[in-house]
Amino acid sequence: MIIEAHDLRKTFVAKRGRGKTEEVEAVRGIDLAVDEGEIFACLGPNGAGKTTTVRMLATFTAPTSGTARVAGFDVVKEAAMVRERIGYVGQNGGVDENAPGLESLVLAGRIAGLSRKQALARAEELFATFSLTEIANRPVKTLSGGQKRRFSLAIGLVNRPPLVFLDEPTTGLDPQNRANLWDEIRTLRDQGTSVLLTTHYLDEADALCDRLVIVDHGKIVAEGTPEKLKKEVSGDVVTLRLDDLEGARKLLAAQPYITETQTEGESLRAYLDDGEHNLPALLRALEAEDLAIRSISLDRATLDDVFLKHTGRSLRDAA
Amino acid sequence: MLRHTMLFAGYEFGVLRRNLAWPIIGIMQPVLYLLLFAPLLTSIAPNGTLAEALVMFTPAALVMIALFGSMFAGFGMINETRNGVLERLAVSQAWRPAIILGRVVKDMAMLVLQSVLVLGVAALMGLRISLAAMGLMLLLMAVTGLFSANLSYGLALAVRDENGMSQIVQFFLLPLMLLSGLMLPMSVAPEWMQTVAKFNPLYYAVEAGRAMFVDDFTHSTVPIAFGLFLVLGVLTLTWSVRSLRKLAG
Ligand SMILES: Nc1ncnc2c1ncn2[C@@H]1O[C@H](COP(=O)(O)OP(=O)(O)OP(=O)(O)O)[C@@H](O)[C@H]1O
Ligand SMILES: [Mg+2]
Repeated sequence: MIIEAHDLRKTFVAKRGRGKTEEVEAVRGIDLAVDEGEIFACLGPNGAGKTTTVRMLATFTAPTSGTARVAGFDVVKEAAMVRERIGYVGQNGGVDENAPGLESLVLAGRIAGLSRKQALARAEELFATFSLTEIANRPVKTLSGGQKRRFSLAIGLVNRPPLVFLDEPTTGLDPQNRANLWDEIRTLRDQGTSVLLTTHYLDEADALCDRLVIVDHGKIVAEGTPEKLKKEVSGDVVTLRLDDLEGARKLLAAQPYITETQTEGESLRAYLDDGEHNLPALLRALEAEDLAIRSISLDRATLDDVFLKHTGRSLRDAA
Repeated sequence: MLRHTMLFAGYEFGVLRRNLAWPIIGIMQPVLYLLLFAPLLTSIAPNGTLAEALVMFTPAALVMIALFGSMFAGFGMINETRNGVLERLAVSQAWRPAIILGRVVKDMAMLVLQSVLVLGVAALMGLRISLAAMGLMLLLMAVTGLFSANLSYGLALAVRDENGMSQIVQFFLLPLMLLSGLMLPMSVAPEWMQTVAKFNPLYYAVEAGRAMFVDDFTHSTVPIAFGLFLVLGVLTLTWSVRSLRKLAG
């Protein structure tokens, strides 16, 4: 276990103006167990508590209660030992915009205990890995968004940590850059580095991670491999738009081949296995009750359906 | 610990080297004061010479750079509380005080360098002081910088807002300046102002500077100034390191 967390909680006291304060329960009891060599994702909507969780594990924020061991050490009592063994790439990147990338990277390396020569060699290696060699001497503010992301990842890896935290590593990247970064993260895993990342993209969690937790309002609502979680809901989902949502929901819920129904805003989602074969029966049932369908679609269930099942909201609308 | 401080300072020197224009502009104000204000003081100098006026005013011009230069040093750090740089450093292996001390070392060195330039201008205008006085004055500037830069970083980390910080600095700057006898010696001030000035650390810096410039190294304000700024420097450093911890909420 490279990360073991028990009942982590964090309550912030935030100012509300006019001297008043407000308590924000950002994280409300999170248990985590991440294995070595695993890409583990923390999936959740804005404000779910992902950043706060990662910050506690990376020794930045002290938990209000609960305990966590990272790379074998307690995040509160042995923070210095933890810091030697982690890389941390925050949501904002954390790179000095005004200095050339090389200088920031060499400084980070030397702070991690390398000599000047070793730090230079390590920097060269990382620039090559992330295809940044050409821009090593340019002030970071002149880099593109994707280059900046890769550079912040390079800084986080300077001390060859067995574990890296990546807080929303692909937010704001175009699909091409995103796919490239996924490859780089997979390469890390293949070299034995454990990765804990946060994301609010379902496809990202699905494509990239070995296991994930879905977090909402500071709590874990589901946990497992993407496959296992998707299996929790039936394989296919029919999305319907019609006038009498509630009537249709009752009717479909009573059909033997429908495992679950959810109304979501204006549409109705019905989960079923073997959708292609059961769709005609579903259409006949609706027709028999004179329920006029405005639109209908059949899709494979995704992690979004898992999220919907557990929270009653769609991840896309949950922010 | 020392290694980390020097590493951060070295990095900051690199930043400074790429932007050498700023510290040069920073000494324009005290130099202008020397050129345009010191001559006015000849009328209150005992023998009415410019050299005397310079002995009186040069220490004040130096304290002015310490005040105006270092008090604004923290502004650059406010952005780093938001862009994640401090967050990254806080969870790195860096010795935390070094994150601030490294910058302070750079600010102190810059202050000493600027002081040398201002002293050079004053010498060209006719200031004559002993080498010992000059060395001690530069040392005094270094400890003044230790305090004012640390204060500025502490403020930046506590306030974390450019507007708020500039209001606070402006609010304190003028009274601190007027109550240090920077423009005119406090000895010409009414008694109540002299009493208030005793609570202003900069008053001791200016007075100690003036005493040292006439080779009066045992003047009571000399040890007070050095001691005061060292103690205040340590206190403000402790404060900013604690604010750094609070960054995490
Ligand atoms: N320093 C802080 N002070 C007060 N409240 C905070 C602080 N940091 C976070 N919060 C609150 O805690 C909750 C969780 O925030 P957090 O940043 O962990 O969410 P997140 O899952 O990372 O969201 P996002 O996807 O937007 O990054 C939010 O309601 C946020 O407003
Ligand atoms: Mg976040």
